[in-house]
Amino acid sequence: MKKIALLLLFAGLALAGCSKSPDTSAPGAKKLTVALLPKSKGNAYFISCRIGAEKAAADLGVDLIFDGPTDTDPAKQNEIVDNWTNLGVDVIAAACENKEGISTALRKAQAKGIKVITYDADAQADARSFFVNQATPDGIGNALMDEAARLCDKSGEYAIITATLTAANQNEWKKYIDERNASFPDMKLVAFRPCDDDKDKAQAEATALLSTYPNLKLIMSICSPGVPGAAEAVKQAGKAGKVKVMGLGLPNENKRYVHEGVTDSVILWNTQDLGNLTVQAAVALVKGTLKPGDTSFTAGKLGTFAIKGDNILLGKPFIFNKGNIDQFDF
Amino acid sequence: MSRYFREWSVAAALGALLLVLAVFAPAFFQAQPLLSLAAGEAPTLVVACGMALVIICREIDISVGSQFSVCGVCAGLLAAHHAPTAVALLVAILAGAALGAINGALVAGLRLPSIVVTLATMITWREGLNWWRQGEFVYLPDRLQWFGLAQATGQWTLIAAALALMVALAVGLRRLALGRFFYAVGTDAEAARLAGIRPQLVKFSAFVLMGALTGVAAMMNVVQSPQVDPKSGTGLELKTIAAVVVGGVAISGGRGSLWGAFAGLLLLACISPALIHLHIEAYWEKAIQGAIILLAVVADGVRTRRAKS
Amino acid sequence: MSSAPASHRWRAALFRHETLLLALLATEWCYFNAVGAHFGTLDNTYDIVRHSVEFGLLALVMTPVILTGGIDLSVGSLLGLSAILFGKLWRDAGLSPAAAAACTLGIGALGGGLNATLITELRLPPLIVTLGTYSLFRGLAEAITHGSDTFTNFPPSFLFLGQERWLGLPAQAPIFIVVALGVWLLVHRMTFGRCFRTIGFSPEGARYAGIPVKRRVGLVYVLAGTVSALAAIIYTARLGQARADAGTGYELYAITAVVLGGTSIFGGVGSVHGTLLGIAAIAVLDNGLVHARQPREAAGVLTGVLLLIALTGSVAPKLWAARRRRPAASPPPPASAVSPPLATPPT
Repeated sequence: MKKIALLLLFAGLALAGCSKSPDTSAPGAKKLTVALLPKSKGNAYFISCRIGAEKAAADLGVDLIFDGPTDTDPAKQNEIVDNWTNLGVDVIAAACENKEGISTALRKAQAKGIKVITYDADAQADARSFFVNQATPDGIGNALMDEAARLCDKSGEYAIITATLTAANQNEWKKYIDERNASFPDMKLVAFRPCDDDKDKAQAEATALLSTYPNLKLIMSICSPGVPGAAEAVKQAGKAGKVKVMGLGLPNENKRYVHEGVTDSVILWNTQDLGNLTVQAAVALVKGTLKPGDTSFTAGKLGTFAIKGDNILLGKPFIFNKGNIDQFDF
Repeated sequence: MSRYFREWSVAAALGALLLVLAVFAPAFFQAQPLLSLAAGEAPTLVVACGMALVIICREIDISVGSQFSVCGVCAGLLAAHHAPTAVALLVAILAGAALGAINGALVAGLRLPSIVVTLATMITWREGLNWWRQGEFVYLPDRLQWFGLAQATGQWTLIAAALALMVALAVGLRRLALGRFFYAVGTDAEAARLAGIRPQLVKFSAFVLMGALTGVAAMMNVVQSPQVDPKSGTGLELKTIAAVVVGGVAISGGRGSLWGAFAGLLLLACISPALIHLHIEAYWEKAIQGAIILLAVVADGVRTRRAKS
Repeated sequence: MSSAPASHRWRAALFRHETLLLALLATEWCYFNAVGAHFGTLDNTYDIVRHSVEFGLLALVMTPVILTGGIDLSVGSLLGLSAILFGKLWRDAGLSPAAAAACTLGIGALGGGLNATLITELRLPPLIVTLGTYSLFRGLAEAITHGSDTFTNFPPSFLFLGQERWLGLPAQAPIFIVVALGVWLLVHRMTFGRCFRTIGFSPEGARYAGIPVKRRVGLVYVLAGTVSALAAIIYTARLGQARADAGTGYELYAITAVVLGGTSIFGGVGSVHGTLLGIAAIAVLDNGLVHARQPREAAGVLTGVLLLIALTGSVAPKLWAARRRRPAASPPPPASAVSPPLATPPT
């Protein structure tokens, strides 16, 4: 009896709350809100994107919300986009873990008048206005394979360490690495192992790889914690210089190993610029200075960027090595 | 012999695995990689010993992974700010003991179920650490790696330290009164209380000890590389519980030994490198781990049934 | 009901776990309503429902499992395995989504059956059995897909289930309501299910009372497996993709919701309406914090803290009463931490 009374009380409260109508005030009346969604929050890559994004937000005088799942989780990404749609942000900039799934949520946001752009990993074309493309997946795959071939003199055995077996980006890069591998018939991939985005696990995997494949010439890590992990394994095995280490990683995490000669090159792009450009493009889209059909976009101090179709191109992947890695701090 | 039947069975399974490797992948048996593997697993062994103690008391602690991460980051930050290594180690132990004390107070003091308490603390510490560090690495000074010793010496030191801790704990479990109390409380807390033991105090000490050991393990992990990854404790609770259970420590408490935990850990730790050496694809790893755990548990059940009938 | 005066009954009702949880839920709602401009809208409420159906289903079916004194850590992994098998049946075996869904429910039941057999036939502790199947099911999912294979491009008629509205409600809501009603009836009204709490309170006593303990306990695990598969189908429809890592961590959410709702992990005490409130509390917290512009980590920390407060709150009155009952003359009544706490009479 009392339970029923209490349940009715709650239902009453809920209905009272629900009867509030959505806010229809013009977005220009208050500060613009840009919502930036990373693939995972704990990833140093997206943390450095955030730094650039915050700088742009401060320059432009907009509010920045940076939030995402702790580990890559496409379901959680969808939920966050849904929540932002209800919250009523002005523009959502998303790095998509699941292309199809998140597009539904993004289309709903667009239907409500929220602008949508993507960065780092694209959604379906009709779910967003622009894609800030730091490098195409085939561009990344080719750069990795080319650099690996260069370090091995175009022949030898190599192994790849990835994040998790289900990680979408990594799987796409691997596809293009495999395709590019065909141009280097003497380069042979002997193992493809996950490290679960854990530096220590990457180290353990690399140690085992080194002892299993005595002719291994190179370890390529396509997830950022894997590069220092593999480097430490090679160093501890005493094979620094004999087994090359390279991959996708951040300069700061690898400076030490690059200077010691353990890691040869780290490929990436300026992630801070990526975050900065994303926020600038997002704001320009809301304000109307960036429209579909534009062929170039000027992003303040960052310079002018070419737009190919609906892709805003950051540029080519950048190779960090001993000569230039100290110039970067992220 | 039958007293340590389970431990010997696990050792036999490990032996069988090593035999397979010897035949099909002799490259497994090289000194340096095995040394690196052993040094890498030394922290896990220490944590597994602590977990065995807690499970013997008929409780469980699934927050060890988060404790490990927190202690590692704290020790690393201190070292990065030029604190002496000994201070960093001490802080790691104290931090671990404090976190363990929180678990212990809730479980022993308030009589709350340990699985839910440690679930809550696991989520809280892990998310709190993420909130604070945002996934950023801690960069350590050079002198910290291997305590400043040469690599091989450092690795042997860590392995020896882990083994020494395990032996000390095993001896303590057997000879010290507190050790016998763990078994008593795990078998039947009420009977123990009537015998004059204070079960709540015993359980509290188990959690505090677990926390302190986790702190030591975190420090042992920190000195093995020049950076601390705040994610380094992920999956540690599953790993250690599996090792301990496979090794014969009964989840219902009161039974098992640290040697079993050791054997279980060795077996499970060898699976990943064994798969690489045997050229088995990585996506079989979890299924194999799960199968081994189930096998161990089923063997337990069959043995108990046969003993009863 | 009882001969206690009305004021005592009201006080007892006020301090019942569910009442406090309801108060918490109301507080959360009012706070987020005040802080977030668009929190209390119908759209947002529907989204809260949509986002919580999957782990809500797991929590609902976890309730009878925990009531019998067991636990099931493998529901999240079984969700992942069911999802990819569903995808495989649809894409590679060419079944229609409906037929594939039916087969998937059967697979879920089989998975639950594995747990049930090991727990009831071999008398193994549920914690460890389901820890093993937690790894095994996830491992099988990864092995079958080689980790990287995903299933997408489902027909819109199937995606409707997870993404669209039916009769004004989110399409998956009626399924959740049906399952919630079913589980509630099973646990609280059917003679079949009322024995769950008895079994949790004392398995031996239940057996002496003539209850077929093995069959009943086996059934709850099979049920858990089947509902995990159902949650997998809804997850796939909502996301439009089936992946081997689907449902990672969901078992912890489910257990949190159940315990938050007042069910004792020792078994013997608890209710399904408590679990529903627990699900609502977590879902509202998760959603509301976004509207309050707080990061995700805040949701995690607060959930952990909430769980601890709920646990402490449920135990504190009994400890307080035990302390007050302790007169100077006679020795205190033993309060053992091993046997379950005194159960309130089942409703």
